[in-house]
Amino acid sequence: MSTLTLAALATLVFCAPGYPGGAGDAQPYVDQFAKAAAASAGWKPDSLAAIYDPTDQGSLAKLGDPDSVLAFMPYAFYVQHAAALHLSPLAQVDVVGVGTQERWTLVGKAGGPVTGAGSMMGYTILSVAGYAPEFVKQSALAAWAPLPADLKIEATGQILSALRRVASGEPVLALLDQTQAAALVTLPFAAQLKTLTQSTPLPVALITVVDSRLPDARAKAFQAALVKLNATKGGAEMLGSLKLKGFVLPQLPGNAGKP
Amino acid sequence: MKRVIGVAIAMLSTAGCNTPLTRPASPPSSMTVEQLAAAVAADARRSDLETDSKIRDQLAADAIQNAQACLQRAPQAAACLYYDGIALGLKARAHPLQANEALKSMLSALSSAEAADPKYDQAGPARVKALVLIKAPEWPLGPGDPEAGLAAARRAAELGPDYPPNVLALAEALAKTGDTQGAVDTYRRARDVIQGLPPSRDRDDWQHEADQALRKVSAPH
Repeated sequence: MSTLTLAALATLVFCAPGYPGGAGDAQPYVDQFAKAAAASAGWKPDSLAAIYDPTDQGSLAKLGDPDSVLAFMPYAFYVQHAAALHLSPLAQVDVVGVGTQERWTLVGKAGGPVTGAGSMMGYTILSVAGYAPEFVKQSALAAWAPLPADLKIEATGQILSALRRVASGEPVLALLDQTQAAALVTLPFAAQLKTLTQSTPLPVALITVVDSRLPDARAKAFQAALVKLNATKGGAEMLGSLKLKGFVLPQLPGNAGKP
Repeated sequence: MKRVIGVAIAMLSTAGCNTPLTRPASPPSSMTVEQLAAAVAADARRSDLETDSKIRDQLAADAIQNAQACLQRAPQAAACLYYDGIALGLKARAHPLQANEALKSMLSALSSAEAADPKYDQAGPARVKALVLIKAPEWPLGPGDPEAGLAAARRAAELGPDYPPNVLALAEALAKTGDTQGAVDTYRRARDVIQGLPPSRDRDDWQHEADQALRKVSAPH
């Protein structure tokens, strides 16, 4: 693809499975982001479009489009799809109130039978990251590997309901992101829950090149632009509207995204 | 949102809907509880149709003043507690950055209203509470709680089974909590209830909402 063609067609796909908000709500904000990032990289105005998708399958479909050269994604999505989609991390996201890394927490019923991987047989793990079972197994619960073969992993957007099921003694566990885990104490039934294990710090989200669709020189320029984006005029405010503080160079765990 | 704040229609004055809004002034001390409640309802109705955020802000401020005045006159009256909740809902919409706190206060006011008179405004406290719980951002981002919303919607539908907004709220809560078939059945029941009513603008609005929601919830995913 020539630079000229690229300048007119490049798309940044915001993959946001498991997170609240519809595409319509988010689109104006991701449009602003694309405009600011392109300007910071010295790209022509309107050379970068952005599109938001709140589902795993929808995101994958959009990434299949040859014009989708860049992607913004939760780390779980990256682990699940990095090998198949040939994703190359450019920058790690710094999220307001979370940072560049977060720990995932597995929660079970207080006094319940689960104490380790061996006692999880017949259980289901519910999580906003449940669409990415490889992430759950290889990253979030790496300390408990290998997990039982019959363990089910399911995506849920209703984590409060999942936690009620945990507390009531159903054979389910909830895998929480850092924000959710920090808020556990606010629940009226918090005493009926217990933390079973916690991951090491993992990236929260990344921006990647998709399938080498962006030439190296342009990728480097975009990477540099992302890292300095919060220092540009209006950059911090624009990032704040997406609950972002900025970007740092990626620092991934050793096994991330390996097939 | 229309059903959230489109309440006590009979109490509205059409003059109120056409009067240009100026800076909110304290309501006259001669206004009764009923008049203050009607004033909040009028603010809510106007806000529902208003696209200008500055005017919505003014309407919210006016509604808060009227609700506070109402509570000063009758702190335990279901009408004042209910419309305090409605006014806080307008505030949440006008000030998104403070929306979570306003919605929590709104839910608290609606719970008090429901305790005072669960049948007020055709089971309005439980109905509005249900809609807030199913539409607001969920824990830990906000006070949304679809399961609690479903429970509130069931209470409203039991108290007022022939009032279409109660049936529509129940259908929406069922859809939100994953009971698609229950939602379809309940939207159909809502249509039956609506078609038994005499022609009116509300009837048309409810019919439109039921038809649209039924199409959405019946569509293959």
